Amino acid sequence: MAAYSLFDRVRRSEAASGVALISPTALYAILLLAAPLATVLIYSVMTDGPSVGVVWQLNFDNYAKVWTEPIYRAVMLRSLLVSFAVTAVTVILAYPVAYFVSFNVPASKKSLWLFLITIPFWTSYVIRVFIWKGIILGYNGVINQVLMGIGLTSEPLQAINYNVGAIIITLAHAYAPFAILPIFVSLEKIDRSLLEAGLDLGENRFLTFLRVTLPLSMAGVIAAVMIVFIPTVGDYVTPTLIGGGKVNMIANQIQVEMLKQHRMALGSAIAVSAMLIVCVICLVFLFLNRRFLGAQK
Amino acid sequence: MTFSDEKPTMIEFKDVQKYYGDYHALRGITATIKAGEFFSLLGPSGCGKTTLLRTIAGFEGISSGAVLIDGKSMAEVPANLRPTNMVFQSYAIFPHLTVEQNVGFGLRKDPRSAEEKQKAVDEALGMVGLKGYGKRAAHALSGGQRQRVALARALILKPKVLLLDEPLSALDKKIREQMQMELIKLQREVGITFVLVTHDQEEALVMSDRIAVMFEGEIAQLADPETLYRKPANRKVAEFIGTMNFLPATIVAEDAGKITVDAEGFGRIAIDATQVSRANPGDGPSVGFRPETLTLLFDGQTASDQESNATVSEVVYYGDMTYYDVKLAGSDTPLRLSMRNTPGRPVLDIGAPTRVAWSAGAMVLFR
Repeated sequence: MAAYSLFDRVRRSEAASGVALISPTALYAILLLAAPLATVLIYSVMTDGPSVGVVWQLNFDNYAKVWTEPIYRAVMLRSLLVSFAVTAVTVILAYPVAYFVSFNVPASKKSLWLFLITIPFWTSYVIRVFIWKGIILGYNGVINQVLMGIGLTSEPLQAINYNVGAIIITLAHAYAPFAILPIFVSLEKIDRSLLEAGLDLGENRFLTFLRVTLPLSMAGVIAAVMIVFIPTVGDYVTPTLIGGGKVNMIANQIQVEMLKQHRMALGSAIAVSAMLIVCVICLVFLFLNRRFLGAQK
Repeated sequence: MTFSDEKPTMIEFKDVQKYYGDYHALRGITATIKAGEFFSLLGPSGCGKTTLLRTIAGFEGISSGAVLIDGKSMAEVPANLRPTNMVFQSYAIFPHLTVEQNVGFGLRKDPRSAEEKQKAVDEALGMVGLKGYGKRAAHALSGGQRQRVALARALILKPKVLLLDEPLSALDKKIREQMQMELIKLQREVGITFVLVTHDQEEALVMSDRIAVMFEGEIAQLADPETLYRKPANRKVAEFIGTMNFLPATIVAEDAGKITVDAEGFGRIAIDATQVSRANPGDGPSVGFRPETLTLLFDGQTASDQESNATVSEVVYYGDMTYYDVKLAGSDTPLRLSMRNTPGRPVLDIGAPTRVAWSAGAMVLFR
């Protein structure tokens, strides 16, 4: 047995094959994720030039502006409130659906039910937004037609369109499957004899749910919260189309700064600030959950 | 081994029927379990023993009949309000709670103060030999420890009946045997009625005051371990409990108290009329006897009752015991017998001619 050359050893090592396996993904992540992120970070501490593009001059004024001027604060706050509301509505409505599919649907029919839950995804999100905007919530939409038809109102309501409520309804519908699936998976993993044990030890069904099912499905709920909360904070399409440009969220503000006002540095500072805020909120949420769940692995 | 009949009834089954769609899972179970008794439901898988246990716990409804606990019908009583607690086959330890939170799970509505409850939890843990394990995470326990937590969690509530659903089947042999002994001791200490489901006949014999042997949704025999072993009600029970030798026989004469049969290899045997059980439907009569009731005779030994010539056809050496298969002169049926390997006693070889001692008193006639 001759000793392998260094090259051979590297080539045959597990680390090398691991790197080879992930390299397409890694390349993709570096070019399309890390590089733009780094660019944004660098832009955010530069100075906006008089025209398109930044002046390469270190400057923290952008952050000072973002964190002090009321307009940015108001838009950020609105983004967060919309996101909190969407997350709450989505997860609270998703839980019973996931629970029903996991506990009440016979095992042979579960895949069919999950399949049905994903049906909204068969249509592009933009089209679904237009359906909400035009057909359901719109000026001549189903709701207004019905309300006028049964004589509750004499003319179409403006209040159901172009506002935060409409944005929340649309987003909650869009993200429902993302919330249902992780909760369903966590419910599926619960050993059913644990629920019998809860009953056996004297608790009724509701208390067994509170003391056994809910804590054991928290992992899925946390995943659902993250999956819904993080992307909705930065949602751009829904406020643009449903809000009609009147109720901007943070992504719209960034777009305005970057592409309309050509303030790349300020836009980048808003983006980085938004990321930081979302990050901190998520960490706090995870930490609180860990405290509440105590010994759970 | 025998159980006093004077004890009051704890559980009563009255013609309990259970259907799952077309499947008839329980076929008219009528039986009583006495207070303070260690009672086992024994049978092969699918015989309905676990279903019957679950009708006591309230996890399974019944199609007709009645289940009474301590004289009260359980028809309208949900599982969480029944005076029973269960040790599940999978133990069902809550993975998100610590050991003491598991044990104290059922104490939420207990009016005692937090300190008193903590004391009760510590006592329960001490009782099952897990003193000092309270703060551990439940998922960090071994199988045997989980079993103990499940026991403590049930016993702390002082139920009238403790239900055990194959609690030892997941443990390895050494720990299983140790837990059997501990369970017996624990049951004597707390005096609670234990109902154990098991498919392991040895476990049932070792642990129980009385055993109900079940086949296909029916109780085939309900008796104390010794009666089950010595005088099984039918051939199916005889085959399920331990080992039994069977020899085809023909009935020669019947008179008051005695039945004379002609058994292959043994010749004429007079069997007491009380020692008669049912054969399988369609089978002819046979005599049955346990391996230890047939004894090899070594040189110079004589039988106290009867003896026959035989040939050794198989030898299985176990250290403390040797199991032989022998064939009687004039018979081709191998008969299993067991001999204790006392010092100086030889182990015979296959093919060796020998003599066996037997006694009609140890035989059961299946007809």
